[in-house]
Amino acid sequence: MRKYIIGRLIRSFFSIFIVVSIAIVMIYTLVPKENIFFGDSYLPKLGSKPDETIQYKNSRWEELGYLDFVQQSDMCKNSDNYSGCMVIGSEESLVLKANYVDEGYTVDTFPKSGFLYAYKEYTAVELITNWFSNFIQIDNVNKISDDGNLDLERKVYLATDYNGLPAVKCSGCENEYLMYLDGSFPFIHQNFIKLNFGVSYPTYSGVETIDVISSGQGTYDYEDVEFPSGKTASSPLDLHNCTYKATSTLDRLDQEKFDSNYANCSFNYQDPSMISTSYLFGILALILSYVIGLPGGIFMSSRKGKLADKIGTVYINFMIAVPSLAFIFFAKLIGTAFGLPDKFPQFGFNDIRSYILPVIILGLLGTAGLMIWTRRYMVDQSNADYVKFARAKGLSQKEIFNNHILKNAIIPIVDGIPSSIILCISGAVITETVFAIPGMGKMLPDAIKAYNNSMVITLTFILTALSVLALLLGDILITFVDPRIKLDNKGDSR
Amino acid sequence: MENKFKLVKLEEQASEHILAPNYSYWKSVFRRFFSSKVAIFMFIISAIIILMSAIYPLFVPYSPSYTPNINDFATRFIRPNLEYLFGTDNVGNSLFDAIWSGTRNSLAIAFTATAITTILGVTVGAFWGFSKRIDKFMLEVYNIAANIPFTLLVIVLMYILGRGMWQLIFALSVTSWLTTAYFIRVQVMIIRDREYNLASRCLGTPTHRIITHNILPQLISVIVTAISRDVPTFISYEVFLGYLGMGLTQSDASLGRMISDYSQYISSASYLFWLPVCISAIIAVSLYVVGQTLADASDPRTHFI
Repeated sequence: MRKYIIGRLIRSFFSIFIVVSIAIVMIYTLVPKENIFFGDSYLPKLGSKPDETIQYKNSRWEELGYLDFVQQSDMCKNSDNYSGCMVIGSEESLVLKANYVDEGYTVDTFPKSGFLYAYKEYTAVELITNWFSNFIQIDNVNKISDDGNLDLERKVYLATDYNGLPAVKCSGCENEYLMYLDGSFPFIHQNFIKLNFGVSYPTYSGVETIDVISSGQGTYDYEDVEFPSGKTASSPLDLHNCTYKATSTLDRLDQEKFDSNYANCSFNYQDPSMISTSYLFGILALILSYVIGLPGGIFMSSRKGKLADKIGTVYINFMIAVPSLAFIFFAKLIGTAFGLPDKFPQFGFNDIRSYILPVIILGLLGTAGLMIWTRRYMVDQSNADYVKFARAKGLSQKEIFNNHILKNAIIPIVDGIPSSIILCISGAVITETVFAIPGMGKMLPDAIKAYNNSMVITLTFILTALSVLALLLGDILITFVDPRIKLDNKGDSR
Repeated sequence: MENKFKLVKLEEQASEHILAPNYSYWKSVFRRFFSSKVAIFMFIISAIIILMSAIYPLFVPYSPSYTPNINDFATRFIRPNLEYLFGTDNVGNSLFDAIWSGTRNSLAIAFTATAITTILGVTVGAFWGFSKRIDKFMLEVYNIAANIPFTLLVIVLMYILGRGMWQLIFALSVTSWLTTAYFIRVQVMIIRDREYNLASRCLGTPTHRIITHNILPQLISVIVTAISRDVPTFISYEVFLGYLGMGLTQSDASLGRMISDYSQYISSASYLFWLPVCISAIIAVSLYVVGQTLADASDPRTHFI
C-alpha cells in the first residue's frame, strides 16, 4: 500500500511536470511576445523615444523570463578597458560584438545613441529549467545579506508572537515568523517553504502571481494592533507576515513601530482572496449537489421504470444536453425575478443574497452526473446475488435497500468526492464570469484577455496539481470505505 | 380401410429451408427508433435545424464584420416581425441570418470534433483493449491527460493557438479522444475473453479481424451513446468559448459570441439575447435525445422479434 502510494505520488508529480512544461514552452514560444504589451499603459508614453522603447520592452521580457538581455554597459563590465569599450564603434566594442554573436546572441544597436545591445531567446529546455529551478524557495538563516546591518544575528528560535501564542521566529531569514498559529484556516501557518510562480504582468503588475490569487481583496481591514516597539495603533498590517527590509530603506515610521528590520509587512483585507472565494462557492455548491443528487439518484433507482424515474431521466438529459451557459442565464432570469442580484459585486461579500443564485446554479450543474451514476450503481447492485439471498432470508425490501444495496453502491460515489471539489473550481469559470465573482475561475479568462502569461502558467499548475492529488485522495479514500479494495494489484494475473 | 395419407414428391429445396423470422438489422433499428414519439419530434427539429443551417447561409451569407446598414438608424433594433423574423441587432443586421450562420459554425465544429474523437478513439481503444503491451503505455498517457481539467486545457490551448475554427477543433479533440478510447478499451477487455472470441483465436483469426468482426459490432450502441454525449458537449464548449471571446475569429458568426455581445441588451432588446440562448439549448437537447434513442435502437438486444 505504501509502496503503491509512493509510486502514484511520483507519477502524479511527473504528470504535473509534463503538463506545466508543455504549457510553459507553448505559451512562451507560440504566443507572440509583443502581445504582453497589449494593456501596458507606460509603453505609449515612450512612443517617440525608440531607445527607451527597446530598453523597456527587452527588460520586461528579461524579467518575465523570455530572453537574456544585455546592454553595452553590462557587456563592457568584464572588459579590461571599460572606457575604451564604451566608445561607439571602437575596436573593443567590435570584439565584444563578435563574442556575443558567437555565443548565439542577436546583437543590434540602439537607433539613437548607437550603443550596442544583445539578446538571446531561451530555448525550450532553458525555459523549463529556469522556471522549475526557481520554483521552490526555502527560507534559511543565511538568506539575508544586508551591507547596512553586518552584525545581524542568525538564529531560529521559539518565541511568542504579539498575541502571546507560541511561534517559530527567525533572525536572518527572509521572514520574521517561520511558523505561527492564528484563528483562520488552516490555523497553523508556515513560511519555511515558498513556491515561486513568478511575477504577474501586465495586470497586477509587479505582484507575485501566487499573492494575487491568495491574498485578500477589497479595502484594508483596520484593527488595533500592538507593534513590537510597544506602540499601539489602528493598522491594516499583518504582523505575522513581515519580511526583512534593508537598513538603508528603513524610515522613521518603520523605526517607530518595529524594533528590528522585519518591517515589510503584508496587509489585512476585508474581503477573502480569490482562492477562498472560489473554494467557498465550490464547497457550498458541492454540498447542495450531494444533498439533491444522492437522494435523487437513490429515489430514482427505488422507483425504477416508474413515473419518478422517468421524470428524473428527463431532468438528467436536460442538464447534460443544455449548454451550461444557456442554463446559467435561464436560472439567472428566474433568480432575478425573485429579487436576487444578477451580479455578485452588487451586494458584495457580506450579503447572503449575493451567494444564493451562484451556489444554486453550481449545485444544480453538479447534480445530473451524480444522479445518473448513483442510479446506475444502485440498479446494478440490486441485481446481485447477495440481494436475492437477503430476500430469500425474508428481509424486508426497505432493509435490503438501506443496509445492503446502499452501502455497496456508495463506494464508487466516494471515489469521486475529492475530485468533485476540484471540478467545482474549474467548472466555476463560466458561473464566476457571468456573475462577476472575483474568484480563481474568473481569473483564468481575465488573465488570458490581458496576455498575463505567468498568471496562466500559475493557474495551469495549481488546477492540474489539485486535480491530480484529488484523484489520488479519492483512490485512498475508497480503501477505507471498502476494505476489499486493494490498490496494489499483487497477484493479479492480467 | 382407405388410407388417408398421400405420398408427396420429395422437395429438395423445402428441406433445406430454415424457418426463421425475417430480420434485418437496419430495419429493426429504424422501426425501434421511430416507435418513440419524442424521438420523432426531436428528429424533425434537428433535421430542420441541420438543413436550415446548411442551406440558408449559402443563399444569405452573413459575417459579423460586414455591416452595410451601420449608418442607417432606422434598421437598428427592429423587433421580430414578418420581414425580420428574429429582428435586427445594434448594427442593423438581421438576427435570423446571424443565427443560422452561427448554428452552422457550431454544428460544423461539433460534428468534426466528434468525428475525429470517435474515429481516433474507437480505433485506438479497440487495439488498446486487446494488446497488453499497448495497454501499459497508453495507461500512462491517459493518466497524464485525464488529470488535466478539460476546461483549463481548452482555454489555455485556444490562448496559445489563437482563434479560428481549426484551432478550436484541435483544442476540443486533442485529449477528448483519449476518453472515448479508454471507454472502448474497458468494453473490449470485457468482451475479448468470451468463449466465442477464444474459439475464433484458436481457429487462427487475425487480431484485426477479431476486432472488426467479433468485437466492434457488439459496441455499436456504446459508440453511438458516446457520440450523442460528445456532440452537445462540444456545442456547449463552442458557445462557452465564444462567450469568453476565445472561440472563432471576429469575422465568423458564433452563437457564443452573439450571446456575449448581445448580453448588454438583455433588458432593452431582450430578443437579441434570448434567441441565441434558446437556439443553442434547442440544438443541443434535440441532438442529444436523437442520439440517445438511436443508441438504444442500435443495440440488437432491444430488437424483440
